[in-house]
Amino acid sequence: MATHTGKVILSLGRINVVGLGVKTTVSSVTYATALSTNRSARNEGRLDGQGKGPFSRKPKRLAKEPRTAEMSVEQDWTAVYPSAKPFRPNAVPLPVRMGYPVKRGVPPEKKGNLELIKIPNFLHLTPAAIKKHCQALKPFCTEWPSALDTDDKCDEHFPIKVTSTDYVSAGPSVRNPSARIVHLKVKLSSLNLDDHAHKKIVKLVGERYCKRTDILTITTNSCPLRKQNYDYAMYLLTVLYHESWKIEAWEAEKTVADMEEYSWEDSPSQKNIIDLLLRLKVAEGGEVEEEQEQLLKSGEVQEYKDSVTRLKNEAASESSTLQYKEAVKKVFNL
Amino acid sequence: MAAPIALRREFFSLSRILTGISHLAPKPCLSHTKYNVTRCHLPLKASTSYFHTATVFKSTPSSITVTEEPDTLFQKVSILVKCHDRAVLDSYEFFATMAADELGITISKVYEPPKAIDRLTLLKSIHIFKKHRVQYEMRTHYRCIELSHLTGCTAQAYLEYVQRNLPEGVAMEMTKTAMEKCPDHILEPMWKDHPIDNKPSQ
Repeated sequence: MATHTGKVILSLGRINVVGLGVKTTVSSVTYATALSTNRSARNEGRLDGQGKGPFSRKPKRLAKEPRTAEMSVEQDWTAVYPSAKPFRPNAVPLPVRMGYPVKRGVPPEKKGNLELIKIPNFLHLTPAAIKKHCQALKPFCTEWPSALDTDDKCDEHFPIKVTSTDYVSAGPSVRNPSARIVHLKVKLSSLNLDDHAHKKIVKLVGERYCKRTDILTITTNSCPLRKQNYDYAMYLLTVLYHESWKIEAWEAEKTVADMEEYSWEDSPSQKNIIDLLLRLKVAEGGEVEEEQEQLLKSGEVQEYKDSVTRLKNEAASESSTLQYKEAVKKVFNL
Repeated sequence: MAAPIALRREFFSLSRILTGISHLAPKPCLSHTKYNVTRCHLPLKASTSYFHTATVFKSTPSSITVTEEPDTLFQKVSILVKCHDRAVLDSYEFFATMAADELGITISKVYEPPKAIDRLTLLKSIHIFKKHRVQYEMRTHYRCIELSHLTGCTAQAYLEYVQRNLPEGVAMEMTKTAMEKCPDHILEPMWKDHPIDNKPSQ
């Protein structure tokens, strides 16, 4: 829009010059009323050889001093460049030089310099102008609620985050098809889910859940409009939530292989250790069989349980193997 | 304000030229120009369908209507600008950061992602001479401004201002993260009120 304005002025200027130069018949009619007095005054100073023939040259207007000579230092610059306009050397009182210098020379001056016109200028966005614009925009802005100053408070009260992208660029079309994509992120800890529901929803969404950050991300791009994608994402979240609370008949057939985490209760490891300890007791002193619960509750067996669960659930690391070693040593009193 | 005076000044100079060459310059051009220039400077109108507005803006700043609808809250607005010229991005960054400061918006981060260079190698000659090639490259410089804790009205005003003053040859992508409360239908599972029998799922 700014460039269009600039083009208008340039084209008018060009037509002006053309009118002055050659097509006197055309422009003489249109200029008659405006400049007739000036022409009569100027013609007296010209040679008579330049008669009033059909192709006589029009007297050139004498070039005036550039506007920069009359500019004061305290002038209002926002009035000189109120909006985006091309660079005008006679309107900018700066000794700017731009361009590649000739050998042992300096960059060319600003008068007639195309490089200065080509590059976008920010003369309309000086700090004074920005302050004025912001003063005008201030009434339209609202304050951020002061109670939500940290991210944690924001997450607590507003757990759902909807992200979308807008695109601005020059081109044959204003639209960008990627602008319809909507991402919906929510922490599962902020939803009302019990243990079974949590496990089920994690299984339902699969890759969209990040275990480390506990964030479920739903990305929708199947609808053509952003609003539709947003509605679809909210619908998916609602459906997932309600479906995860449902308990189907076939969920009773969950096997050990389906479990998400390793649990020590009723595992071969527990059976083995209890079995081993019982046989040790029998072999040592032939005492009465202690109850299994007492064995289980003893500290060493609990430690062994912790170390085994840690090894199985997390990736095997040096500290976890060391912990297992210590636990085993304690159980067998080595 | 100096802006309306400047507008009028421009209008008159244009009209002087145009009355002289009225048949050459089309009339709608004048009104179109004026309309464009006015749009830059008078306070924003809600007729721009680009943003979903909650409040209705009038042309004079003295009468601003406030509706009861709750404002959207943006936790983060990330603006990425791309250009072939780094100097233009420097100036634009100065403008955008200053505008944000003036409007009281918190700027969390301003950084410069590394530039991307697309290179292509073409044959130098139109016919044969395969060994002689010419290489062109297109450099895209980036600048990212991350703002945090914006309300919907502030974001709309600031983004529209910053987008209107986007220079030619610069593209922008804005990623807005809006925060929302948990909707009512997700607070409690509906099976508690209406318990269903165990039906076999399809």
